This record gives sequence, structure tokens and C-alpha cells, in this order.
Amino acid sequence: MVRSVGVAEPGSVAQAMLAIAREVGGDHELAEQICQACVLGVDVDGAAISLLTASASRETLCASDATAELLEDLQFSLGEGACIEAALTGRPVLVPDLHHSTQTIRWPIFAAAVMEQSDVGALFALPLQWGAINLGVLDMYRTAPGSLNGAQLREAISAANMAALMFLGVRSDPGNGRWLDHSLHGRAEVHQATGMILVQLGVSATDALARMRAYAFVEQRLLSDVAHDVVSRRLCFTQDMA
Amino acid sequence: MSQVVRSREQLLSRAFVGLADTLVDDYDIIDLLDRLVGYSVELLAADAAGIMLVDSQRTLQVVASSHEDADVMELMQLEADQGPCVECFRTQAPVSVPDLIDAAGRWPVFAAAVESRGAYRSVHALPLRLRGEAIGAMNLFHRQPGTLPEADLVLGQALADVATIGILSERAARRGEVVTEQLQTALNNRVIIEQAKGVLAHRGNLSMNAAFDRLRRYARNRNALLSEVARQVVETDLASEVLATRVAPSNAVD
Repeated sequence: MVRSVGVAEPGSVAQAMLAIAREVGGDHELAEQICQACVLGVDVDGAAISLLTASASRETLCASDATAELLEDLQFSLGEGACIEAALTGRPVLVPDLHHSTQTIRWPIFAAAVMEQSDVGALFALPLQWGAINLGVLDMYRTAPGSLNGAQLREAISAANMAALMFLGVRSDPGNGRWLDHSLHGRAEVHQATGMILVQLGVSATDALARMRAYAFVEQRLLSDVAHDVVSRRLCFTQDMA
Repeated sequence: MSQVVRSREQLLSRAFVGLADTLVDDYDIIDLLDRLVGYSVELLAADAAGIMLVDSQRTLQVVASSHEDADVMELMQLEADQGPCVECFRTQAPVSVPDLIDAAGRWPVFAAAVESRGAYRSVHALPLRLRGEAIGAMNLFHRQPGTLPEADLVLGQALADVATIGILSERAARRGEVVTEQLQTALNNRVIIEQAKGVLAHRGNLSMNAAFDRLRRYARNRNALLSEVARQVVETDLASEVLATRVAPSNAVD
């Protein structure tokens, strides 16, 4: 069932990602494909995906080239940068011109290091998130400075949103691909149920959503139906539940 | 509700003072839109109001509503991919439906859904427009059939325009991409708020409406960002503090 109003066909990145969903299993492979789709579909030269967790640990799942990898390494060793800002604030950080100091004022050391060690001109960091669930960041760079146009930015943000869903889905039901369940979009009850389950199980929002997805998968029910039962208090998650 | 019946003029000035206050400091778009639906209900004698925004994939999402029943009305339209609010967004023009019973010919799927699950009889949808592009719609719902006076529609559109201005100016609109960015942040904040409602509802054995009310009052009493309080409810133990804070029933908009 269609639950949202499409006024435009998904762009090329989104379509490439739909294909990925049907083929890919593990996190690293998934990240690699997403980065590739972005480099092909958005006007950037390279992309990387890093997962960041609350415990401040991080893992770069994929960097499409050496420059993309350098950008990740630099900011994690310096502890500042566009990607870290995106992860902390949960907002996209768009830097169309790295040589423009007002855009880099929040992380001057990182900006100076990038300019010294690479020919990167523009940086775009998009958080991979699902409400309070923060998984990491999709980073993209271009050597030529300049903004992404409206359509490209929409593509990039869609890619980050879908990537977040894919990582969440991959973690709960590998290979199944049902994370694309349209009911996830705009369905307040799924988010409300996530909040209720995290209290019921004493886990993080990420784990609560994963548990709900796993339950829906095992029971062969739609996530939105399971969420509805949770919100209407017909279903309660307990520690000893499968 | 307040014992004193306020004149519309008083309500209007209170609304604009409230909105102006909001726009001064750092604020959430969701909080602003939540206030706007509240003021719209009060000023336009609506039974409910809701706001939908377009996301990065050009699909509409419900972001604020004065009541869960208004959510349902908007979700039914998104499911059916038709209805007054959807049409308002697509045509960028107001759509008025004085009686939904007459809507079966125009939007058969939506009309059937309204008949079985709808709580309202009339809908007035007003576009949120920005530089010739639609970014969403504000929708007014009434339980009784009827047409809104022209003056009310003008006022409603003014409130919808305030929403658009608020979305634009949340941070300085330096670049064209800011709007997409703001909408994305607003939509994600809405998800956090829904998650926090779930936490509070379960911890406090509350309805979702009551949980939201607690969240909103806690944030407003402290001049805190709604999304920030929501995030702390989800990630830390702030829920017990929010639930422990006893507040007298307010006469604020609900």
C-alpha cells in the first residue's frame, strides 16, 4: 500500500539503492554500494560512510577513494570536522567552498589540514539518522567548489535516509530487504512504539526498533501492524521474548 | 479552556506575540508549527488543524497536528494519494470542502476512508508556498459541515505564511539548499518527538496526546527546544523528571 504521495519518481541514486537492497547482505558491502551510487548520481568526486555510536567509537565502513579516507581519518584524529558536526547536531553540514573561512569557522584545524593535505574544495556531510537513532554519517567531497543544486541535495538526503533505514534493516533481518516497507514513512505509530519498547526492554532506540522489526519478521506481519498493537497496548515486549 | 471568553482581536495579538517570541531565539520548526496549529484552531474556530511538509523525495509527511484525529485525516489522504490536502499541495491553491459527504465523486478512496474512520465533516486546506514552490499544506478540520468565511481563509493563509517564514529563517537563509536542509531537520525532529511520546506514554501510562502535552509543557516552561527535550527523554532518564513535573491544567491551546 502506498502511504506517501509521490510527486516525482525516485531519482537515480534512490533507484540504484533500491537495486542494492535486493542484492546486498553485509554492512561493508552495503556501504560500498551506497558510496558508489552517490559518486555516480550526485555531483561529487568521492564518498565515505562512517558509523558512530554513543560510546564515541567509530568505524569507517567504506571510503570510495584515498581522499575520502583521508577526510575521515583527519576528523577522527583531530576530533572535529563537518562529519563530526553532522553526527553531533543531527543536521546536514554543507560546505560548498572550503576556502571560505566563514564556512569552516567551527573547525579551523580540520579545514586547514584538509587544504594542506588534499585538493578538496567542497564537503557535504549528511547524518544517517532515524529520529533519535544516530547511526553515522554519509560524507561526500568534490575538488571543485560549489553548492549541490536542489535536485542533487534532495538525492543526497534521500540517499542518507535510505542508507540509515538499510543499516537498521540489515541489522535486524539480513538479506530480507523488508526495511523498504513503506509503512515506515510518516507512520507516527512506528516511532511511538519504538519509544514504548525501549522502556519495556531497557534498551536504546536503535535496539528497540531492531527488536520490533525482528518480531514483525518472525511473525510475518507488517511493522506498522505490530507498532499499532504496541501503541494500543495489545502487545508488550519482554526480556524473554524471542 | 479559559473562563474568560477572549475577543478574536485579543487572540490574534496573543498569537502573533507568541509567534514573534518564538522566532527571536533558537527554535524548532516543529515547535513553531505545533504552536501554529494551536493558534489556528483557536482563531479559526476549527476542531483540529494539521500541517504537512514535503520531504527530500518530494513526498508529503505529517509534521504537526492539534489532535491525533487530524493525523488520521491526513494519513488517510497520503494512503489514498488523493484528497483536499494533497490537491492543495499539488495545485498550490486553497481547497475548501464544506461537506466531505459530497467528496465521493472527486476523491472516492479518501471519501470511503473518511466514512469509516474520519472524525471530521469539513476540510479547508491552505498551501505553504515558497518562491513559487509548494513545501506543504496547512489543513483545518471541522466536525460540522460548513464553509469558512472569506476573512477566516485570509487569516488562515496569513498563519500558513508565517509557518513558511519560520521555516525559512530558522537559520539565515544564505543558500538555496537551506530549505531542503531545514525540512529534513524538521521531519527528523518529528520522529524524535514521536519516539519521546512513546517513552512517556509507557512510563506514565498516558495516552499519546497526554504524553505530548507533558513534553510540550515541560519544554515551554523551561524555554527549551521541544526536539532537545524529546531527544533527552529518548536517550537519558529525563522522562522521570518530565513525568514528575506536575502542572495545573493549562488554558494553553491544545
